[in-house]
Amino acid sequence: MSPETTDFLYPFIEGDETDSTTLLTDLALSARGKWAQSTALRTETLERTDQQLRTVAGEMARRLTAGGRIYAFGNGGSATDAEGVAQLYTRPPTGLPLAARSLADDQAVLTALANDIGFDVVFSRQLIAHGRPVDIAMGFSTSGNSDNLMMAFAEAARQGMLTVGLAGYDGGRMATDANLEHCIVVRSDSVHRVQESQASVVHVLWAYVQESLTARS
Amino acid sequence: MTVASPLHDADASLEGLSHDLARASLAMARRFHAGGSMWCASPAWPFHAHHVAVEFVHPVIVGKRALAAVTVPPGADVVATLRASARVGDMVVALAPADDAEVAEAMRRAPAWGLETLWIGHGTRPPAGAADHVVWLDTDDALEASEQFVRVYHLLWELTHVCFEHPGLLKPSDAECNGETAAAGSGSTVCITCSDEGRLAEVVSVEGDEAVVRTAEGTERIDVMLIDPPAVNDLVLVHAGSAITNLSTQ
Repeated sequence: MSPETTDFLYPFIEGDETDSTTLLTDLALSARGKWAQSTALRTETLERTDQQLRTVAGEMARRLTAGGRIYAFGNGGSATDAEGVAQLYTRPPTGLPLAARSLADDQAVLTALANDIGFDVVFSRQLIAHGRPVDIAMGFSTSGNSDNLMMAFAEAARQGMLTVGLAGYDGGRMATDANLEHCIVVRSDSVHRVQESQASVVHVLWAYVQESLTARS
Repeated sequence: MTVASPLHDADASLEGLSHDLARASLAMARRFHAGGSMWCASPAWPFHAHHVAVEFVHPVIVGKRALAAVTVPPGADVVATLRASARVGDMVVALAPADDAEVAEAMRRAPAWGLETLWIGHGTRPPAGAADHVVWLDTDDALEASEQFVRVYHLLWELTHVCFEHPGLLKPSDAECNGETAAAGSGSTVCITCSDEGRLAEVVSVEGDEAVVRTAEGTERIDVMLIDPPAVNDLVLVHAGSAITNLSTQ
């Protein structure tokens, strides 16, 4: 069979597609569809977790008022969520600046711990060094299964810190971990959509903490 | 931000944003395909720049290829970092407000370094032509925008990878050539970007009537007799081997 007779079935089989109009239209359509999915997941998540977020925010506000500090942590994109939490609490667009740090920020500490002991302890060892009972441990994971988060929650619980976890899927191991007091789950199996709604959860939780502090003063 | 209120996806603005994002994704895919690196800069929100870089380098979907993306280190001068380390064919993705002077300056100089630029932000838009691609959110609310930025760069990653499934479109075609044609509607296919009308260049060194400059094509030696002696790092317009205007002293 000559190529000519089947080309119409596989127009781009030789990589000779030259007009990008169709692709660009498809990409834009796909982007709008995923945007709508993200919006729907955000709404569902914030409605379902609203009471939980208010409860957690109240406990966080109590500890922050008593001199507590937030230690946020996660791996990869979740490490950037932790970095975002540190920025939001310490340098908020409005409201009171509050004490917070990301445990993924210091490359020297991270690489020293990872190299000398192992990656499982990169957060827990920092909590051993810095943590106090009045502090707050906030861990981010989309799978809910990261070993170094489980170790960090165990250390935080041992010290009497408030433990808060944000997870995706069904919450993974974090959902049933006895060391994790508050597990906030974004119910999706898309890592991207989970992270997008986790960003919203972070913002609403922060707003409730600020409300709670205002109510106290 | 109104707590727990749904983000309003104003249909018209989402439509425009989706098309801007589509074009930016194809452009980034073409640059990656040709071996370029993506520089991510966000002086205002460094965590977003880190997120973009990790997204491309270490994809969440197993099996997707690792792409060369890197964060301009938080606190580092964006212009100095890119001038020293970016190569012709690379790209810059900045997440920054329109009034970020450092980012604006980097975007302005990027064509002389051979970089393609994408500027993501919210609120007041940067002036037309400030970057090759602008993906802008209407909202003035910083937190609402921050949430939507995550969607924007996740989609940028997703759409870029879709483009890799269309190898025929990864070679920039002569007709498109990043868009602009000299006389739209006139039937002319002469491209402003490719013709020698007046290419942007950054001065590397000056020796008498000649200067070594960086342009989108790389380093070249030009004549500077027609202008006052330029200084190192000045931006000049080059036409037919001569600097005809010094944009930095105008």
